[in-house]
Formats: sequence, C-alpha cells, structure tokens
Amino acid sequence: MQQKFKRDFNELKNIVMMTEAVFRELGLNPALRNIVDLATEELFVNMVTYNTESTEDILIEMAPHPLGLEVRLTDYDVERFDPTRAAPVDVNAPLDERSPGGLGLYLVMKMVDSIHYEYRNRQSKITFIVDRK
Amino acid sequence: MFDIALADDGTVIVEGRLDAAQAVKAQAFLDQVEGQCVLDLAKLEYISSAGLGVLLKTHKRLMGVGSGIKLVNVNNHTHDIFRYSGFDKLFEIVPAGI
Repeated sequence: MQQKFKRDFNELKNIVMMTEAVFRELGLNPALRNIVDLATEELFVNMVTYNTESTEDILIEMAPHPLGLEVRLTDYDVERFDPTRAAPVDVNAPLDERSPGGLGLYLVMKMVDSIHYEYRNRQSKITFIVDRK
Repeated sequence: MFDIALADDGTVIVEGRLDAAQAVKAQAFLDQVEGQCVLDLAKLEYISSAGLGVLLKTHKRLMGVGSGIKLVNVNNHTHDIFRYSGFDKLFEIVPAGI
C-alpha cells in the first residue's frame, strides 16, 4: 500500500489510518502498531520540519517483509539528510541539561529492527523494518 | 483523538494520541498549570517525541518553582518510551495497576 501526504502535521491522523488499514490487511500483531506509528511519525515530522525547501508531497509505502513490515518514506526535491546519522542524545543527562526535542530520531533508532537511508536525484528515501517477533 | 482536561480532584487527565499535531494543544493547557501536577495517563494510547517535549518543558518549568509533574497509571508501551528516553530518571512514574 502506498499513499502521498501533504507536508503538514495534520496529515498524521491520515497516516495512522493508513497504518491501521495495512495492519488489518496483513493481519499483523497489533502490539507492533505503536512502534510503526512512532517511527513513521518521527521520520515524517523530521522531513516536514527540516526539508522546508520542498513543496512536494511525501510518499509513504508499507509492504509485508519476511520479518514483518517494511515502511519506506520518500521525500522529493530535498538536500541530503541522513537521519541514521543524527547527533546522539544523552538520555542519562540530568533534568537541567535536557531540552525538548532531539529525541525523535533517537527513539526510531532504538525501536525499529533495521533502518536504511539512500539519497539519489534529490530524493531522500528512508526504509525501516519492524520485526513481527 | 486527543484530549486533556482537569478532573475534580485536580488531576490532569490525558487521553488519546499525543503526537506532533496535538502537542500545541497539550502545551497550551499545561502552561496554565501551577504547583504540583499529577498527570493520569491511563487513557493515553500513544505518545511521540513531540509529546515528550511537552512533558519535559512543563516539568522543568514546575521544578524551577519547587514542584513538578508526577505521571500515574502509565501503561507498558508508554513506560517503554519513557525508559528509552531516560524520563524514568527525571519524573516520578507510577505504572498502571499500582
């Protein structure tokens, strides 16, 4: 299943509906939903927030994978930004050294089973897999 | 769906999905809170980093005046997110069922 979404946080509810439909169609374990929702939201929000030079919609594809579910987000007409190389977050820092933000990509790396970034022809593609186990 | 409201006993009830689209609404509500704040997360289905940012910002503001946020009725998934984020070291957290 694939669908394009406008560069708007209000599209998150429509992305959730797409994920819901994919889970229903593939009969995936509902316990994985929050992981897929979180990783998809964080990557989508990152594209919307930082790739501000593009006006193109963002493509999200979800497909069965031998391990579980493969999700790919494609952002068009953007500069290279590899989210897998985002700056690390010190989650052990005391409260006065913590600031809002920066946690999203860290959580993605922590929760998905594999993630891959590629950049070609001004297209950023990020693919992650969530293991059904 | 997302909602945040004050219960009769002063507890803040958070319900639904706290994502990047709802973070502004949650922040606007919590910016009005003064003193010790108890957030009941029993009906919180989902939280992303945008929601975590709202909790952290509010907690820092309240800690600055000698109070803070206590998170109660935290389900397993939300607790995992808090643990991965290091929030379990920053907040008083009471899991669901206790």
